[in-house]
Amino acid sequence: MTEEKDITKIETQELIETMQDDLYDGLAEEVVAGVHELLRREMTPYDILTKALVGGMDVVGADFRDGVLFVPEVLMAAKAMKGGMEVLRPLLAETGAPQMGTMVIGTVKGDIHDIGKNLVAMMMEGAGFKVVNLGINNDAEAFLAAVREHNPSILGMSALLTTTMPYMGVVIKALKEAGLRKDLVVLVGGAPLNAAFAEEVEADSYCRDAAVAVETAKKLLAIKRG
Amino acid sequence: MSVPEKVTLVVLPSGQRGQVALGSNLLEAARQLGVELESICAGRQTCGKCQVIVESGAFAKHGITSAEGHLSPVGEAERACCREQGIEGRRLACAARILGDLVLSVPEESQARKQIVAKAATERVIEVDPAVRQVYVEVAPAGLEDGRSDWSRLRLALLEQWGLTDLEIDLTALRALQPALRQGRQALTVSLWHDRVVLRVQPGYAERVCGLAIDVGSTTVVVHLCDLRTGAVLSTQSAMNPQVRYGEDLMSRVSYAMTEPQGTERMHRAILRTLNELAASAAGAAGIELDDVLDVVLVGNPVMHHVLLGIDPVELGAAPFTLATSEALDLRASEAGLHLNPAARLHVLPCIAGHVGADHIAALLAEAPHMQDEVALLIDVGTNAELSLGGRQRMACASSPTGPAFEGAQITHGQRAAPGAIERVRIDRATLEPRWRVIGEQDWIGPGSPDELPASARASGICGSGIIEAVAEMFLAGVLTADGRFSEQAAARSKRVRQQPGGRVSEYVLVDAERSASGRPIVVTQNDVRAIQLAKGALYAGARLLMMALGVHQVDRILLAGAFGSYIDPLHAMVLGMIPDCDLTRVHAVGNAAGDGARIALLNVQQRREAIRLAGWVEHVQTATAADFQDEFVAAMALPHARDSFPHLQEHLPPDLGAPGERPRARRRQTQREESRQA
Repeated sequence: MTEEKDITKIETQELIETMQDDLYDGLAEEVVAGVHELLRREMTPYDILTKALVGGMDVVGADFRDGVLFVPEVLMAAKAMKGGMEVLRPLLAETGAPQMGTMVIGTVKGDIHDIGKNLVAMMMEGAGFKVVNLGINNDAEAFLAAVREHNPSILGMSALLTTTMPYMGVVIKALKEAGLRKDLVVLVGGAPLNAAFAEEVEADSYCRDAAVAVETAKKLLAIKRG
Repeated sequence: MSVPEKVTLVVLPSGQRGQVALGSNLLEAARQLGVELESICAGRQTCGKCQVIVESGAFAKHGITSAEGHLSPVGEAERACCREQGIEGRRLACAARILGDLVLSVPEESQARKQIVAKAATERVIEVDPAVRQVYVEVAPAGLEDGRSDWSRLRLALLEQWGLTDLEIDLTALRALQPALRQGRQALTVSLWHDRVVLRVQPGYAERVCGLAIDVGSTTVVVHLCDLRTGAVLSTQSAMNPQVRYGEDLMSRVSYAMTEPQGTERMHRAILRTLNELAASAAGAAGIELDDVLDVVLVGNPVMHHVLLGIDPVELGAAPFTLATSEALDLRASEAGLHLNPAARLHVLPCIAGHVGADHIAALLAEAPHMQDEVALLIDVGTNAELSLGGRQRMACASSPTGPAFEGAQITHGQRAAPGAIERVRIDRATLEPRWRVIGEQDWIGPGSPDELPASARASGICGSGIIEAVAEMFLAGVLTADGRFSEQAAARSKRVRQQPGGRVSEYVLVDAERSASGRPIVVTQNDVRAIQLAKGALYAGARLLMMALGVHQVDRILLAGAFGSYIDPLHAMVLGMIPDCDLTRVHAVGNAAGDGARIALLNVQQRREAIRLAGWVEHVQTATAADFQDEFVAAMALPHARDSFPHLQEHLPPDLGAPGERPRARRRQTQREESRQA
């Protein structure tokens, strides 16, 4: 399958498929090499992002959702994606390529778990979003300040404890009072949460895992943008 | 035909749960989940044995809201039966139909297969040097020319005959003093606390002073009644922690305390009632009076510790997990609500940090790794695992959020360890045929067993030790790859490996329908394997961080504490990568080490001082915020590990596993694309 191929000699479509395989297998160097090769062939940065990278991460996301892939494999894939993105990011800005949007994400106050949240952040980056990761133990002020600074279209909050998840309601209330809630899609997640809880705190949606978060973000943004 | 609507039924304390049809009879629905309720009248609403209690409220953990109105209303026959039995407020499962989501408690007397919580105190050498001892004295009689009080003359007698100074007397002892002097004709037996306070005076010569060592676990409560003179364990009693009904795991209970105004108070009263009952039954079993109990040592994890003392545990629910106090406490047992001798004292061992409590200190006292030159790893596995690593020179401890998977929660057919649960599993390397053993049965069940099994041998689910063995055996038999996926070749090797209906997710059929209690197959799914990978990854990462903190590369011995630790097979735990590499003969279950440690502290005051020293000396490592935690956690999800090697497993692991760190390349992509092309 991945016997050494000379990527300069294969068809562009085959190269894109190979890069998607490489992403799936978390092979960062190969992905970066593929990006350079496609640039050499004068494919636009935006096409490389959507066809090779985002297309590959879609498969990763679907397999993660179904339990075929697990956290370590997804992290490897996301790292490979990141390698490719580093090459593309300045070029995307230069060429004025359309943007997916920005997400601000963080674990709420009192909670110091961040692996699941990091996974969401990486998968969102993999889907082409710009992600501002606030880390752990964020109070409402920290979330509000980040929303004001980065003007995101999506806010994600994570909690791993039944004792800390109610704080999401506090943040959403503060967003409303500051007049920031309307323009945001608010997604919440974490082991003890469920859809009923998301509804109760008036988030837009509960996301069971990182793959669902990406799907939901895309869907809700599409609805919002009409 | 329309498909019946399903609702969720959760049954405590076993934790069994599942989907049942709306409108179905509760007794039958419970049986479908493998919950056996006692019933003598076979559903005629006369014997009153199949009692259940509806737990009302929102249960975030299960994602459902339970209410009394989710059962059909009480009818005449049921009301009459309950009145006659004095069980108003409870429902008879045989009489009730299910109208909505429910969380139920089954009282102990209604469980057809009673829970076993067997924790006999291990015999070990403890020097008996208790905080309370009895001395016999003869007090000079009062006279007209002697204007001193009886307490003054008792003090003088204790000075002259025992060399005791600076004494105080407890009010209850003072009240008993003059009658005792009269009755004993000036001879008394005096019980002293730390040779400083007179707790009790008895007329004449008496010989009996007892103490209680109490370990309040989040699931199980154990009480050892000890003779403080001989050190002998007179009786050991245990029970389920009644707080389980307010939340199965610790954080759910903190949540309950946060959201219910009376939450802390209710949990406090519930645990005290249980402790007082256990104390009374221990005294009854030993043939002593509760009045003879003068000292208590209490241990528990921080949340149990706080709730037992009536302290709101809300601060323990969120970072930075601040304890109200971490210090050892000397209190009156009566202040805390224990009904013993009214002057009895209570010593609470110190805690280390928000997640590492007095129970862990007690386990250290019992196993004493700090007295050895070699490096020991002590692990208490539960919803939260506490670990200590090190030896005489240096020790560090940590807690690791393993989650409830090891207790059978979050596992498709998981359940608590109770009769009927699968606790042992072997899978034939060639045929992939399983053999298993259920709790309460001697014989293994497997290919050679009769198809018709007696009811007690039919498996109702898989408990923690069972799921550990199942996943480890699936890996050893090649059903699972090192990254925890179902191997693509496995389905071709056996029909036990199959796709879940309607999906591309795999599962392994451990028990066929005709051999299970519910009449449906018991399976281990891809998601179950993932849940175990997360739990064991967290545990292993905790151990690794401690090893890194101490600069240790190899562990000399591993001690598995707690009820669950007793049932884990060392080989399977290591194959799974729950624990670091170690000589397998040096991995030991140490039982209820916390309870043993409480007993040691009860019998020896030096050990109480040692506990205080340990609480300050053992370094605490905060795992969740450690820079390397994510990396270690992720690497520890592989079976047994993505990069660490296990030389002691060499002969057990599949030879084609490859070296750790070697990534299987291009795992699947092809199949994926072929599938989509076919579609």
